[in-house]
Amino acid sequence: MQDTHISLAHGNGGRYMRELIEEIFARHLANPDLAEPELDIQADAVPIELNGSDVLFTTDGFTVQPLEFPGGNIGSLAVHGTTNDLAVAGAIPKYLSLNAFIEEGMEIATLERIIKTLAETAAEIGVKVVCGDTKVLRRGEGGGLYLATTGIGVRHGHVMSMQNIKHGDSIIVSGPVGDHGIAVMLAREEFGLRGDIQSDAASVLNLTTAAMDYRGLRFMRDPTRGGIATVCSELCRATGMGVRLSEVKLPVRDPVQSVCDMLGYDPMYLACEGRVVAVVDPAEAQALLETWQALEEGQHAEIIGRIDSDIAYVLMETEIGGERIIEELEDDPLPRIC
Amino acid sequence: MMKHDEPVLAFTWDGVGYGEDGTLWGGETFLGMPGEWQHVATMKKFNLPGADKAGREPWRSAAAMCWEVGHHYDDAIEIDPIVKQAWHQKINSPESTSVGRLFDAAAALTGVRTMASFEGQGPMEFESLCERDDARLSDYIEFKLCYNNNLLIFNWKSLIVSMTDSTLSVVERASIFHSSLAHAILQSAKIFREKHAVNIVTLSGGVFQNRVLSEYTITLLSANGFKVCLPELIPVNDAGISFGQVMEYGYKIKN
Repeated sequence: MQDTHISLAHGNGGRYMRELIEEIFARHLANPDLAEPELDIQADAVPIELNGSDVLFTTDGFTVQPLEFPGGNIGSLAVHGTTNDLAVAGAIPKYLSLNAFIEEGMEIATLERIIKTLAETAAEIGVKVVCGDTKVLRRGEGGGLYLATTGIGVRHGHVMSMQNIKHGDSIIVSGPVGDHGIAVMLAREEFGLRGDIQSDAASVLNLTTAAMDYRGLRFMRDPTRGGIATVCSELCRATGMGVRLSEVKLPVRDPVQSVCDMLGYDPMYLACEGRVVAVVDPAEAQALLETWQALEEGQHAEIIGRIDSDIAYVLMETEIGGERIIEELEDDPLPRIC
Repeated sequence: MMKHDEPVLAFTWDGVGYGEDGTLWGGETFLGMPGEWQHVATMKKFNLPGADKAGREPWRSAAAMCWEVGHHYDDAIEIDPIVKQAWHQKINSPESTSVGRLFDAAAALTGVRTMASFEGQGPMEFESLCERDDARLSDYIEFKLCYNNNLLIFNWKSLIVSMTDSTLSVVERASIFHSSLAHAILQSAKIFREKHAVNIVTLSGGVFQNRVLSEYTITLLSANGFKVCLPELIPVNDAGISFGQVMEYGYKIKN
């Protein structure tokens, strides 16, 4: 393929599109070591094998700007976003489909970098991209590149549900919050490097697999858009019970807190892409915390609060002993971060 | 206010209120009656870096207003350069027309208070420096008032710049600030009287808890033939908002 930039011809179903798919997508996503590579770009639809267990299904779209940022790019995000949703629902991710909406004029070298990262990320987790579609949008009608991935996984372990949540249950977060949101914003607005702020985009599968060993695990969610505050609001609305959080226990890395202080952002509402919030029987909370803290991904895990049926909203106990209500997010503090 | 049958000119000055146009209001003037208000005047807009944080951090208002008019903001507290960049790129820096923030800026620029433990601390301390003396009313800086799309804009540039003038004592600057605002109210009231034959002025909003400002304003307006009303039964600050909401709704459904 000679071209350096995407043209409308790359999306018209003809030769240029075939070359794009073969040389950029299939080359990185197919596993050449297998006799039959998993990615069959000739097929209209592909068969998949799911061994008898409960099948879980999810989808996610990715519109992050900029496309590449410290700690990842839209490609790694496209894998983590969907596989993490499967993981926190108690599933092992098995298969992904990939939709790419590419804007005319995009640099092919950039697209290749992104797809390569996507493929590597998927391979590390053990999830296979088995089908996909590409479209090219006219210049000015797309944000460079949009991706969508749909994921299928199989459940392992007990069924979790918000309905199982009880008064007094502990709430644990697997690590510091806000890194992804701030890292992407700094990169997008070209603030320049700030300390070691990077997106926390990563697979949470190790964390969720370890947590599933605990029968007292009620529910897990990954705090993406809207952050911890939104997960807690959702818990409130679904259970009818309140959430009581402790400000001093909420882990936030110093460089992230410093940017938040300067720019007026609240880490409670900022997106993470590699964290888990778990609701667990208080009798098992300490044990789960220690299990997570023993993992690299969970070193800075903390118990940040509990479910409280005596209140009807999300309440934060502040550093100085006061209380403030955490409102549901209205205006997005940071758009286009995932 | 409830007792009048003719239109009034209402100055509603406070720390912050969410404007219909998405701006953080706080320096507005309305002409009319309950249920039928016309927005007729406002403060020159400025972008507040850090948005809500400005309430407890008066230095933000000072920086915002200095940068808006191209004046250097130099302060004892070291400001992370990321703040100015965010202000420049309008990141989490919503527009505001708040007089409460104008007071915060003055308090910070004169060194009275740059970081507060509660909203209004800077303005309160700034007010306490004033000796309320009508003779001092003659020492003021005139606001430039000009029209933009049917809205009269109060341009605070000269006033804010004068707050950085260290040849004047802090007490002198505080006094000039208060009398300048009172004169600005008078100046604009005369313009509206000329245009709309309105003779009654009401003052409401948390800023008018400032006794020096209120009394200066009443003195000037009364001396120029205006009738002035202040809330007597209902609190002038946020505690009175729900009453106002009920009144507005009531008049709207009545008509």
